[in-house]
Amino acid sequence: MEQSWRQAKGLFLTLLSAPLFWLVVFFIAPLSIVWLYSFGQNDGLVDIAFTGTWSNYAHAFSPLYLNIFVKSFWIAGLTTFLCLVIGFPVALAITFASDKLKPWLLLLVMLPFMTNLLIRTYALIAVLRTKGLINMGLEMVHNSVNGMTGGALGVFEPLALLNNNFAVVFGLVFVNLPFMILPLYSALDRLDKSLLEASLDLGAGHIRTLFNVVIPMAGAGIASGILITFIPALGSYLTPDLLGGPDSQMIANVIESQFKRANNWPFGAALSFLLVYLTFIAIAVQGVLEARARKRVA
Amino acid sequence: MTTAIKPRKMPPAPLEYLRRWPIQAWLIGVTIFLYGPLLTLMVFSFNDSRSTTIWKGFTLKYYQKALTNESLITAFGNSLTIALCSTILSVIVGAMAAIVLWRFRFGGKTLFDGALAVPIVVPEICMGVGMLVFFAKVLPWPQGLPWPLNLGAIIIAHVSFSFPFVAVVVRARLASFNRELEEAAKDLGASDFRALMDVVIPHIKPSLIAGALLAFTLSLDDFVITFFTAGPDTVTFPVKVYSMVRFSVTPEVNAASTILIVVTVLLTFLALKFQGSDALTAGHGTEKK
Amino acid sequence: MTFPKIPASRRSILQGLGAAAMGISFGGLAGCEPAKKKLNFYNWDTYIGPTTLGDFEKATGTPVNMSLFASNDELFAKLKAGNSGFDVIVPSNDFVERMSQANLLMPLDHAKIPNLKNVDPAFLNPPYDPGRKFSMPYTWLVLGIGYNTKTMKDGKIPDSWKYVFDSDTYAKKIAWLSEAGDLVRLAAKYLGHSVNALDDKVLADVEALLTKQVKAGNILRFHSDDGQDLLAGGDVDVVIEYNGDIAQKKAEMPELDFVVPVEGSQFNADTLAIPVGAPMPDEAHAFINYLLDAKAGAAISTEIKYPTPNLAAKALMPDSYKNNPIIFPPAEALAKCEYAAFAGAEMAQKMEELITRVRAAAGMPAEEEA
Repeated sequence: MEQSWRQAKGLFLTLLSAPLFWLVVFFIAPLSIVWLYSFGQNDGLVDIAFTGTWSNYAHAFSPLYLNIFVKSFWIAGLTTFLCLVIGFPVALAITFASDKLKPWLLLLVMLPFMTNLLIRTYALIAVLRTKGLINMGLEMVHNSVNGMTGGALGVFEPLALLNNNFAVVFGLVFVNLPFMILPLYSALDRLDKSLLEASLDLGAGHIRTLFNVVIPMAGAGIASGILITFIPALGSYLTPDLLGGPDSQMIANVIESQFKRANNWPFGAALSFLLVYLTFIAIAVQGVLEARARKRVA
Repeated sequence: MTTAIKPRKMPPAPLEYLRRWPIQAWLIGVTIFLYGPLLTLMVFSFNDSRSTTIWKGFTLKYYQKALTNESLITAFGNSLTIALCSTILSVIVGAMAAIVLWRFRFGGKTLFDGALAVPIVVPEICMGVGMLVFFAKVLPWPQGLPWPLNLGAIIIAHVSFSFPFVAVVVRARLASFNRELEEAAKDLGASDFRALMDVVIPHIKPSLIAGALLAFTLSLDDFVITFFTAGPDTVTFPVKVYSMVRFSVTPEVNAASTILIVVTVLLTFLALKFQGSDALTAGHGTEKK
Repeated sequence: MTFPKIPASRRSILQGLGAAAMGISFGGLAGCEPAKKKLNFYNWDTYIGPTTLGDFEKATGTPVNMSLFASNDELFAKLKAGNSGFDVIVPSNDFVERMSQANLLMPLDHAKIPNLKNVDPAFLNPPYDPGRKFSMPYTWLVLGIGYNTKTMKDGKIPDSWKYVFDSDTYAKKIAWLSEAGDLVRLAAKYLGHSVNALDDKVLADVEALLTKQVKAGNILRFHSDDGQDLLAGGDVDVVIEYNGDIAQKKAEMPELDFVVPVEGSQFNADTLAIPVGAPMPDEAHAFINYLLDAKAGAAISTEIKYPTPNLAAKALMPDSYKNNPIIFPPAEALAKCEYAAFAGAEMAQKMEELITRVRAAAGMPAEEEA
């Protein structure tokens, strides 16, 4: 159980000081300015008048924006799920790799992410586009088959890999995978390996061990992986912008254009803070559920 | 290291997942997925044409251009400096936040916890605008400071959005920590502080490394918040790249990215060589008693 | 406080990277001398001659530091919060209007800019800045249709907005500019209106037109001013783009071409201006004057290949630039083109939301059309 802060005041205050200071001064303060804007109105081109209006929020709840919210949740959710499925075996493999290999595997995962997001996205475009490397490879295979069979396959039709929602999800997984693998690894790494051995010795297969032992024990890591993959995915604007088609606009694209092109900071602020409120609600619900679970145990 | 030397030809032990072919195939697949696009980028940075799909012959001219492009190199240096400083600060602040939330019960804990999640959810542009107004009106960052003090505002902003990520990762690992160990250390006469340093910190080391990597990457990649906090005398690598887009990204940038990747690999390689390969996974060894 | 146990691990990766950071930064900094105050120039990357800044320093002794933005919106958003030390900026025509209305620009002292005599008289009294009170012309552009001559159906030139807004001739091979205002105005132009005569009725017609076209699935994507790359990569056959961008790309790919549609189009201009609160207004004037110099202007045009309003500079350019029909489209094609005026904040928001609706509709199944 946690200790009450009174039992170790010195340590508590030392540990709390820096994060609290940073959070309040360098985060809450700047953000509360924007929060106030969400209740304001443009006053001329430069100034924003704080009027206490709710009209920005009312506007945000129109079906147009709600639909975009829903769509963004879908895309971010799918991305997170794919990252979990793809990343889990990788994290598992790293966890059980030899100590010599481990740092190299971690580096292998992280290295692509030292490259600028925009450049990585452009690299992906070069691979996926109509005359990209995948389609050119397919065309070569296609033509050689045609050559052997005398044109049995007909004219080559390039796959539409880019400028649609598929490309957006593909790109988001490509971009966000390490956000999933790192927390998974750091949670799996501290698993008591003897428990796994015991499970395997007692005749459970690898898959059963995975679902009955590993996943429950790594729950916190999985949750944190989901959290820090889902949220950046929800807030991504560059990937849908560059890889998506006409309909691939996510909520962050709308927020971005409100702050920039439309020069409507109050409305952009309201849309942004809807995301924040949703998070608070999610955390509160989680808190209530946990408290209930604890009561049941007690 | 305490690892026993494993004979090569033995069938894989139950937990040696890395020696099983499905996992191997999976790893290879993921590697291709992650590296395929990057490798093509690297290969085509040697291409004697601006095209990224059609090979026209080998050239080093874009490397020569990149290495003699003073503004590109300055932007590069700014980005790495910002990333380095903000990573160190984020790891310290993030770890403190994680430990305080894990170890103590206190009034306002849920609020603190919730507030910590906000930097993760707030859209970049919203935070960028907040920082813009903050550093313009509330806390004007003095202009014309000598390097690297002129980067101060950007570093502060980067720590603000990175340290909660570190906290999330560290907390995930703390969840498993057996608190009796800390109690035992205290029973043996260690102060609260010593027990924390000698018992808890080694346990969370892998998550500190993971958090540091995350923070470093986030900082290196950030465009929006950097743009809005930058003064007139600071250009970072992402700001340069984004500004180039209007006239299409030059192959020089691909060359510069390739250099960045190679330098990162080399430095990490050297660091691992000199510090022992446990550096990245430190803490793992101490658990096996 | 210190964490005695962390450094061992932190050192390993981060110090390594740090060493690189320090090494590179010191290398980059070696050239700077803190003694002289620098002129801060806010521009797009690569939107200047390669040696222009150095030449200016040689000529006047004032070093120039160029920092970068990626769009007019960002420039405006940033200056909105206060000028943090920029001396010269490069806003486009409608933003000159917007910024001068918002009192963000300093009036220019023409006596300090004698090179104004080099500028084409046609650019001395533009609708967006009468009398050149706040801005000096840097380059100008015209929107039109970029196309690939090799993929045109029946060898026809796509010389009407119809091909992008109202036809399936190039289905799935069309890209639109993602800039809401430009897109709406060009569609209005196709419907026979002036780009500055937008009312609710016109907006509704534009929305219906655009919605129909995206719902039919004819549009591949909305591009953020990288249409020339889409064209060059073979992803699209026709694209709404600026003439200068296509001209730059045509130098590498001769099969690309550009046309100003018969309905007319929209001009854009990038200008030089001094924001209010600039720390070095005198040097800023001198710098603007230098950029309007014949030789300096020619060096810039050689690099960026955009049309120049600087007649003296143009005279120094080779024929391949001067007589390039993409860079300088024929006069009769330009006769129907207009500058877009800044129609107020409310209109900007309306157009933004209109495009948001159009894009959202693209995801919905086509009802009537099917």
